[in-house]
Amino acid sequence: MGAAGKKEKTTKKKEAKDARGLKHEEAEERVMEEAPRARSEPEAPDGGGSPVDSGSDYEDYSEDGDSDFELSEEDLESGEEGAAGSGSDQDDSEDGNSEEFELSESGGSDSQEHKGFVKTSNKGKSIINHAQDDSGSEISESDQRAEESDSSEDEVPSRNTIGDVPLEWYRDEEHIGYDVKGKKIKKKERQDKLDSFLASADDSKNWRKIHDEYNDEVVELTKDETRLIRRMLKGKAPHAGFDPYPDYVDFFKWDDAKHPLSNAPEPKRRFIPSKWEAKKVAKYVRAIREGLIKLDKPKEEPRFYNLWGDDLNSKDRAGHLAYIPAPKPKLPGHEVSYNPSLEYIPTQEEINSYELMYEEDRPKFIPRRYTSFKSVPAYENAVNESFERCMDLYMSYRAWKKRLNIDPESLKPKLPNRKDLKPYPVTCYLEYRGHEGAVVSISTEASGQWIASGSADGTVRIWEVETGRCCGVWSIGESVQCVSWSPLSELPILAVAAGQDVLLLNTGLGNEEDQKKIKDLLQVEISGTAGDSDEQPLVSWLQDDRHKHEAIRLRHFKTVTSVEWHRKGDYLSTVTPADILVVWYFMTMHLFDGAILIHQLSKKLTQKIPFKLHGLPVTSVFHPSRSIFFVSTKKNVRVYDLLKQKLVKKLETGLREVSSIAIHPQGDNLIVGSREGKLCWFDMDLSSQPYKTLQCHSKDITNVAFHRSYPLFASCSDDCTAYVFHGMVYSDLNQNPLIVPLEILRGHVSSNGRGVMDCKFHPRQPWLFTAGADSVVRLYCH
Amino acid sequence: MPKHYRPAGKKKEGNVAKYVTRSQAVKLLQVSLVTFRRLCILKGVFPREPKKKVKGNHHTYYHLKDILFVKHDPLLEKFREMRTYEKKLKKAQAKRNKDLYERLRTRKPTYTLDRLILERYPKFVDALRDLDDCLSMVHLFAALPALERENIEVKRIHNCRKLSHEWQAYIARTHKLRKVFISVKGIYYQAEVDGQKITWLTPHALQQVLPDDVDYSVMLTFLEFYETLLAFTNFKLYHSINVKYPPILDPQLEALAEELYALSRYLDANTRSSRASGSDQVEGQENEKQHDESDLRLAQLQHQLPHNEPGALMHLVEDAAGEDEDDEDTKDCKNLFKDMKFFLGREVPRESLLFVIPAFGGIVSWEGDGAPYREADQSITHQIVDRPTQGHIFLSREYIQPQWIYDCVNARVILPTEGYLVGRVPPPHLSPFVNNEAEGYMPEYAETIKRLQAAARNEVLPMPGTGQEDLEDPQRLLVEGIIDRTEAKEATEKKRKMETLKEQYHDELKMEIEGATYSSMINRNTESNAASGEAREESVPDLEQTAEDGANMAKIVMSRKKRRLLEAIEIGKKRKQANVDLLKERKKKNEAGQTSKAK
Repeated sequence: MGAAGKKEKTTKKKEAKDARGLKHEEAEERVMEEAPRARSEPEAPDGGGSPVDSGSDYEDYSEDGDSDFELSEEDLESGEEGAAGSGSDQDDSEDGNSEEFELSESGGSDSQEHKGFVKTSNKGKSIINHAQDDSGSEISESDQRAEESDSSEDEVPSRNTIGDVPLEWYRDEEHIGYDVKGKKIKKKERQDKLDSFLASADDSKNWRKIHDEYNDEVVELTKDETRLIRRMLKGKAPHAGFDPYPDYVDFFKWDDAKHPLSNAPEPKRRFIPSKWEAKKVAKYVRAIREGLIKLDKPKEEPRFYNLWGDDLNSKDRAGHLAYIPAPKPKLPGHEVSYNPSLEYIPTQEEINSYELMYEEDRPKFIPRRYTSFKSVPAYENAVNESFERCMDLYMSYRAWKKRLNIDPESLKPKLPNRKDLKPYPVTCYLEYRGHEGAVVSISTEASGQWIASGSADGTVRIWEVETGRCCGVWSIGESVQCVSWSPLSELPILAVAAGQDVLLLNTGLGNEEDQKKIKDLLQVEISGTAGDSDEQPLVSWLQDDRHKHEAIRLRHFKTVTSVEWHRKGDYLSTVTPADILVVWYFMTMHLFDGAILIHQLSKKLTQKIPFKLHGLPVTSVFHPSRSIFFVSTKKNVRVYDLLKQKLVKKLETGLREVSSIAIHPQGDNLIVGSREGKLCWFDMDLSSQPYKTLQCHSKDITNVAFHRSYPLFASCSDDCTAYVFHGMVYSDLNQNPLIVPLEILRGHVSSNGRGVMDCKFHPRQPWLFTAGADSVVRLYCH
Repeated sequence: MPKHYRPAGKKKEGNVAKYVTRSQAVKLLQVSLVTFRRLCILKGVFPREPKKKVKGNHHTYYHLKDILFVKHDPLLEKFREMRTYEKKLKKAQAKRNKDLYERLRTRKPTYTLDRLILERYPKFVDALRDLDDCLSMVHLFAALPALERENIEVKRIHNCRKLSHEWQAYIARTHKLRKVFISVKGIYYQAEVDGQKITWLTPHALQQVLPDDVDYSVMLTFLEFYETLLAFTNFKLYHSINVKYPPILDPQLEALAEELYALSRYLDANTRSSRASGSDQVEGQENEKQHDESDLRLAQLQHQLPHNEPGALMHLVEDAAGEDEDDEDTKDCKNLFKDMKFFLGREVPRESLLFVIPAFGGIVSWEGDGAPYREADQSITHQIVDRPTQGHIFLSREYIQPQWIYDCVNARVILPTEGYLVGRVPPPHLSPFVNNEAEGYMPEYAETIKRLQAAARNEVLPMPGTGQEDLEDPQRLLVEGIIDRTEAKEATEKKRKMETLKEQYHDELKMEIEGATYSSMINRNTESNAASGEAREESVPDLEQTAEDGANMAKIVMSRKKRRLLEAIEIGKKRKQANVDLLKERKKKNEAGQTSKAK
């Protein structure tokens, strides 16, 4: 090879150096990656820089590494990066490829130069290298000897004697050094690559051959040597027989020593028994004596014994809360039987219908029939039910509950026998037929001979009570709201409320004198009313000539619903409970001021009541003996004193909507009927709350009534019934009124959802008149 | 000042002070919820409902006293100890400290529940009163498979089986069984011990399923308590009949899973020995054991001997001696299957019948090893079979289905066997726990049984003269001081019962003679009811209306509370009546269907 080639090599080498420097880490990484392939040389890859710590064999190895590097140079030549190849190349060498030969043949200068490099990199360890060199030369000198005695370094001198100088000094020379005798050792001819490759391919021992550059010869490693190398690669000692951890052999002979090593006297504790041990033992002894430590196994005592003894000295759980035993599970009925009677087994339709039920209503157990005992299957819910029971036992509240084993009869209050409270109306005695519409209102004449009835067909009829004969018909034109006889028997005047009018009719009954009086009374001086005042009168008093007898027409602004007479027959009150809207339309200033009016018949005067009303008025009643006036609104009943002109009392009914009120003839008690079917009895001396509330009707109560002399009262309702009660008021103030339901009177038929519209007692007899929506008036007698 | 102002430092009063919620209780006791649950179960502590639920409706409230009661229990400390022990064990195991682990394992802290039982049931009667759940649970677990996953150990299952057999053996031996009912859910038994009616349910002897949605730890805690309770109860009961507890059983029989039979024999042998030698419990242990064994053999022999042997005679004598202790009912039960010899077929559920038949005085054998006598025995009177046909038939005995036994037991009469013969569908099996009169519906077969009972009573048990007198006038006797007050009361009660029975019987007879339908009877009833009301003399045609009016009018005057109550009662009655009506309707339909088929 020429100089040019050498230069090239050097540059290459530099490059390789750089590459090594740069790629050092990368190469290591590579190696790490290729660990499985590079079987056992973790520190090998950078031949020069690898740490070396033992024996002659390193030389071989390092050489190996160098040669590998050359191979990598070759790789570089072929355009690859040297460092990258180094790891894999080493593998190759390990595996025994003969590439090393090629390299050595490619040019001694190369190898030399390279060797020099190796040396420089290994400068610090020159001594070792010397030794290695020696061994290497020894091997190369005589293979046989090497085989016989494994490399003992001192015995075989190296062929080359140049010493530890860089080989590159001899790169350009023809020799590689000098032998012992001072003769030059010539460089050998290099085989060309192809030949060397072929030779290596042929030679099966090729993988053992190493080129020794120092001596310029090929050394074939013996088997022992390869074994050594392998062991070293594994990090073990090179020789198999070497024991790295031998037993320590004490060099000092203790027996024959004349003097002790330590001059200290033997301590006292060596001669006396240990105090602590004694303490410990004593402790154990005490524990054993006291029975704290049991040496033998405890005897198996009988686990069960007569726990309760003789039950004599047993004490109750004092100081604890009472134990409440859990209720026992329900005992099974016929239907749970494995073979129940046929009637306990539901049909298929019934079982299907269970599906439609709510989950909680659905029967949990469906009876079934098995024909034989052995065919009964295991019950699948056995464990579940047992578990449920357990949960109940510890999770649910327990408390003593009184079992409701009440005789329903005992709940009913003790009432006096109805037989003792006779007479009271029981059966229907008469029917008064003739009206064509629902009979809205009836009224009994004070003498009890006549009753008047007003109907929705616009007529007012007067009937003789005992015969049921109709003695008079007045056609009003509008549907009648209310009829009311004057309470004076000598003045048989009938007040009829129809539409916006109140008619005061002379019925034409009674003797001559009475008639005259009535005629006088029912005369209206037109001029008087007309010129009374500038402002519009509340009510206009008009003479009505349409009827055969005299009549006065009181024209109101709104529809009148009820008319009530004062006990003296001179005053009468009218209620016009107009809707709020209507009221708004007519008189925006005073809302309900004109809702209740009191008319004086003798003076033909009308006045408003001087009180403020709260809520819509429903009805109004005069007190039967005193100058007290009752007005009921929807919720409350207000009691006014007319003389003092102030509110006396407000009775709170607690009802949803009051429909009617009635006053006990003595005046201290009051009944109120409501649209929810409730009846309240107020004892005004007692409180403003109801003394008793009776839930009797299922529909609206239309009217309530007291009897004038008998202790009876009645209520009638849209459910076509009328209830008769015994309502005894005692003169003793300490005794509460006695209320006994007596009879339910039926007979009316519902029409248009209305039932009995009105009820009135006969003034003297314990008879009750009821007016039905079926246009019949009935009389119930005792 | 706000309305509910409470000055600082003032003690709380009322419900706030008395009741704590569960989480508060757990905090107070400083235990985990699981331990708290265990404690509650074992101590028998249950929630109590405060008048006002201070913390809200969704909490469980315990009385503070109850919680303090738990707090003072040594068991609480014991549980804590167990917890630390578990931790130690776990630690030793995790650290591979085998030595320590082994040492610790031998020192597991244990606890006993006997003190708790005495605390919860200061008297034996209290324990008996609460025994229902205990027995049902133990019997259930005796039939369950062991399951490692749910911590149901084989040992416990065996223990349950043992306990249940011991209990059954006692009941059978002392003839205290009263009622048996085969339901779909299992077999219900009712026994009367010390005047307490104890009802329990045993599952059918089949493989049971263990559902997943059940917390077995809760059940096992209950079972733990119940096992102990039942063991102590058994001890006491065995003690009361002078038998040693726990019993020593014949291992051969035990191996054959015939523990019940082995137990009954043991009981027989032991009671006899104790009776023969008086109260000689002072014998040496070894002697006693030998004695037991010899007695066992003796008993075995006696069972195999025919009845006229001296052994049997001796037995009879003993029975006679024992009889004076028994009350009327027990005597009845004892003699029901007297002089009858049963043999159980292979397919018959053996366990139940082996329990029931001896409990009512019968002798029973079965097919298999260890049976007292063979099928070929000529003295067998009844063979119980549960198969459609019977191959070989002995003419000297009757072949009946097992239901016959149970029906006889419940009726306390030997019923005719026609209905129960092999291959027939037996008559319906009725629950003995139902009071048919109160329920308002009497199944047909119940009536038949009642008639048979009456017949049996008249023939077999004519009233002795003195007894008659007793019944006739208890008051007079009381005055004379012959009987005490309670007896008089009982006698009057009995008399009244008999009279009502008689009356009813007469009524029924009359009805049958008249051939009246039920509906007419109802009408008559209502009529009479209405007539008994106040509106008696008014013969208004619309009687129903008046009756209703009467009811309505009474309601009007009632207060709202009472009215609501009355309405609720009425609704309940109506529902009951509806049920009865449904049954009647179904019955009518069934009958119609049958007649149409017959045609």
